[in-house]
Amino acid sequence: MNIKKQFKEGLITNNPVLVQLIGMCATMAITTTLFNGVGMGLSVLIILTCCNVVVSAIRKIIPNEIRLAIFVVIIAGFVTIVDLLLQAYIPALSDALGVFIPLIVVNCIIIGRAEAFCQKNTVGASFFDGIFQGLGYTLVLIVMCVFRELVGSGRFGGGLIDITNGFRITMDGTGAGIQIFPSDFGATIMTLPFGGFITLGLLIAIMQYALKKSAKKKEAQEMAEKEGEE
Amino acid sequence: MNKILKLTIVLFLVCAVVAGVLGVVNELTYETIEEQNRIKTERAYAAVLPSDGYEEVTFDEEAWPTIDAISKCTNGAGYVVMTTFSGSQGKITLAVGVDNDYKCTGISVISHSETSGLGANAASTSEVGVNWRAQFVGQDDTIALTKNGGNIDALSGATITSRSVTEATATAIKAVESLG
Repeated sequence: MNIKKQFKEGLITNNPVLVQLIGMCATMAITTTLFNGVGMGLSVLIILTCCNVVVSAIRKIIPNEIRLAIFVVIIAGFVTIVDLLLQAYIPALSDALGVFIPLIVVNCIIIGRAEAFCQKNTVGASFFDGIFQGLGYTLVLIVMCVFRELVGSGRFGGGLIDITNGFRITMDGTGAGIQIFPSDFGATIMTLPFGGFITLGLLIAIMQYALKKSAKKKEAQEMAEKEGEE
Repeated sequence: MNKILKLTIVLFLVCAVVAGVLGVVNELTYETIEEQNRIKTERAYAAVLPSDGYEEVTFDEEAWPTIDAISKCTNGAGYVVMTTFSGSQGKITLAVGVDNDYKCTGISVISHSETSGLGANAASTSEVGVNWRAQFVGQDDTIALTKNGGNIDALSGATITSRSVTEATATAIKAVESLG
């Protein structure tokens, strides 16, 4: 298991949302502004990496029968820590994400990676798996946020970017974003849950198309090589 | 039997360690979180009725089930009422400023889950939201939507949200009146 392969898997070929199709509830619910997307993505990345490391570190000493219970306790612990820290230091994000931060406990990405990967791999590999799978998740959130925000309210970077006094990144969620066209002309439906379903569906379709295409290309290449050998 | 005992002990130990860590984190963040909540409430209070300080007063909680808290302005400007009630999608928490003549001095939505682009305008900082909330200033406890015989125009496409906010404001003013 090498890092480069893990990187490719986390971001593209085994992307948690678009290929494994897990952790989709929060994905559709919170991707309304870039601020939410980046905040949620990074929260999951941190929790996932911590959980991966701990789970793989204790994978040999925990009894098989109660492993799921132990995983859930560990995940719940990290989620609560992140939740408390957000409430204390980035309250705007905590307000915006609301119940979706505590709900990371039952986000299948984290328990899924613990079951599928960390149980069988070393601490180092699990650490990188956490980072790359987290990045893959964050990337999907960002793409969805940018698309929904732009089509729905004609804005880019809501909460995260402020341009009233020159370009500035706002960490407290107060930035108004860049208005690309007046919000009255936006398709409000894209900011509703319905828009989340549509956007996610489109992304999954594009992803499947691209993966199929590259697989076919690879196959054709292998065939050509075989024929050449003969 | 031995097996079960072992499982129980392992699970107990994991839980104990996690609980211990959480206790420490809670201890470290508790004060900051309290401080953040206080700042948030004060900012909301100041938006509806500015004062140098606010003092919570007691009221008949059974008679006013939707009212969370009533605070008296220490500068004598009036009262700020916090109220939580049902909107069209979920609970709305609202701060209402009431002056000594029992007139509304302004409202501010603290939290809500109304439909984005429609009911959410009641809370938004956009022109639509600001103008809509400005209608509440100077209203008394007879406040109502235009279609119910009052003079508050409902937000377009969000009659239920508008009505619930209007009714909650009326209730908040009545609660202050009941203080005497």
